[in-house]
Amino acid sequence: MKRLSVAVLAIFILALVAGCGGGGNNTEKGEEQNSEQGIQTGTLEFRANGEDFVRKGFTSKDGWNITFDNIYINLAEVTAYQADPPYDAEEGGEVKAKTQVGLEGIHTVDLAEGGEDADPVLVGKIKDAPVGHYNALSWKMVNADQGPAKSYSLVIDGKAEKGGETIDFVIKDATEYKYTGGEYVGDERKGFVKEDKTGELEMTFHFDHIFGDAGMPADDELNTRAPGFAPFAGLAQNGKVEVSVAELKDKLDAETFNNLKHSLVTLGHVGEGHCHSEILSE
Amino acid sequence: MKKSFIIVTVLIFLISFPDAAFGHGVDIEYQASKVYKITASYDSGEPMSEAQVIIYAPDNPSEPWSIGKCDKNGNYFFTPDPSQQGTWDIQVRKAGHGGMIHITAEENAQTSDSTGFTTLQMLIMTACVIWGLIGTGLFFLGRRS
Repeated sequence: MKRLSVAVLAIFILALVAGCGGGGNNTEKGEEQNSEQGIQTGTLEFRANGEDFVRKGFTSKDGWNITFDNIYINLAEVTAYQADPPYDAEEGGEVKAKTQVGLEGIHTVDLAEGGEDADPVLVGKIKDAPVGHYNALSWKMVNADQGPAKSYSLVIDGKAEKGGETIDFVIKDATEYKYTGGEYVGDERKGFVKEDKTGELEMTFHFDHIFGDAGMPADDELNTRAPGFAPFAGLAQNGKVEVSVAELKDKLDAETFNNLKHSLVTLGHVGEGHCHSEILSE
Repeated sequence: MKKSFIIVTVLIFLISFPDAAFGHGVDIEYQASKVYKITASYDSGEPMSEAQVIIYAPDNPSEPWSIGKCDKNGNYFFTPDPSQQGTWDIQVRKAGHGGMIHITAEENAQTSDSTGFTTLQMLIMTACVIWGLIGTGLFFLGRRS
C-alpha cells in the first residue's frame, strides 16, 4: 500500500508538470532595427523630371495642344537629406538631418530632351553618398550665367495648336526660387542608398500648373489657379510670342499674373509631393 | 502485477489527458489592436475620395507592406503589425497630388487574452481528476482483494 502511495504521488507530480506545460502567454516583441550605418557608401543620382506633360505634350485647360521643344531649367545647391524628423513641406523651415549630400555647381538641364519615353534627365550623381534613406530634397533655381538659358532660371520653348492656329512661344523667367520637399511621392519609393548600389531622387516640375489640364475637371483647383495658354496666345504676333515673366506683369490682368506667379512658385515637386518654396530674387 | 498494470494505465491516461479532456470546450479569444484612422484631403478641404494608400512597414521600408484605397470621405483605417516596432510610412495620392505621413507605432499597442484556463485552474482540475482516478483504482483493487 505504501508503494502504491509513492507511485500515486509520482504520478500526481508528473501530471502537474504535464498539465502546466501547455500554459503561458505569448508576448509580441518588436524587432530591433539595425541603425548602425558605419561608413558604407553607395551612389545617389539626382534626376529632373517634367513628366509626360513635357515629353509627350498635353492639352491645356483652354484647349490648346501644347508640345515643348526645350525647357531649360537652371539648378543649383541640389541637396539630399536623411531627414530626422521627416521634413514637412506644409510647415516649411529648414530640414533637420543627420546626413546630407549635395551636388556642386550649377546645372542647366533640358526637361524636354529625349523621346516620349525618355527617362527623367540625370542632373548629377554622388558616388560616395553614405548609405541610408534620403527622404528630403532641396534645390534652387537660379539665373544661368551662360548657355541657352543665360540670364534666366527657366526658359520654356514650345508650340501650341488650336483650331488650325499654331503659335510658337518662349516664356522666360528670371525669378530665382528655392524648393524644399520631403520624401518623393509616387509609384515607387525613392531615396534608398545601399552599399555599392545606386539610389535616386527626383526633382519634379508640374507644368500643368501653368497651362492647366483639359484632362481634369474645369473646377479642379489645378485648373482654377492655372492661367492656361489663352493669355499667352493673346500676346502673339505673326504666330509667335516671346516674353519674360517680368514683362507679363504689365501685359496680363492682375489675377492672371498672380496665378502665373503662383504656378511658378509651386512648380517644383518631389514626385507628387508638394514642396515648400521661396522666392529668392525677382 | 495488477497494481503495476493499474499504475501504468493511469500514467498513460494522465499524460494524454490535458488535450483530450477538453476536446469539446470553447476557447474564445480577444485581441485589442490600435487602429489608426487616416483622413486625406486636398488643401481646399475636399476629401481625397478613393485615393490610393500605400503603407511601408518599419522592417522593409522600400517595398509596400499594403496597398489600399480611401473611402469616399478620404478615410482609411490602418492596423499596424504589432511585431514590427518603429515608423510606419503611409503615402496617399490621387491624380497627381499626394503626401506622406509617418506613424511611430507604440510598444504594447496590442493586448490579448482568452478564456483559456489559468495555471491555478489547471492545477485544481488536474488534482480533482487524479483524485477521482485514484479513488476508482482503489475501489477496484479493494473489491478484488
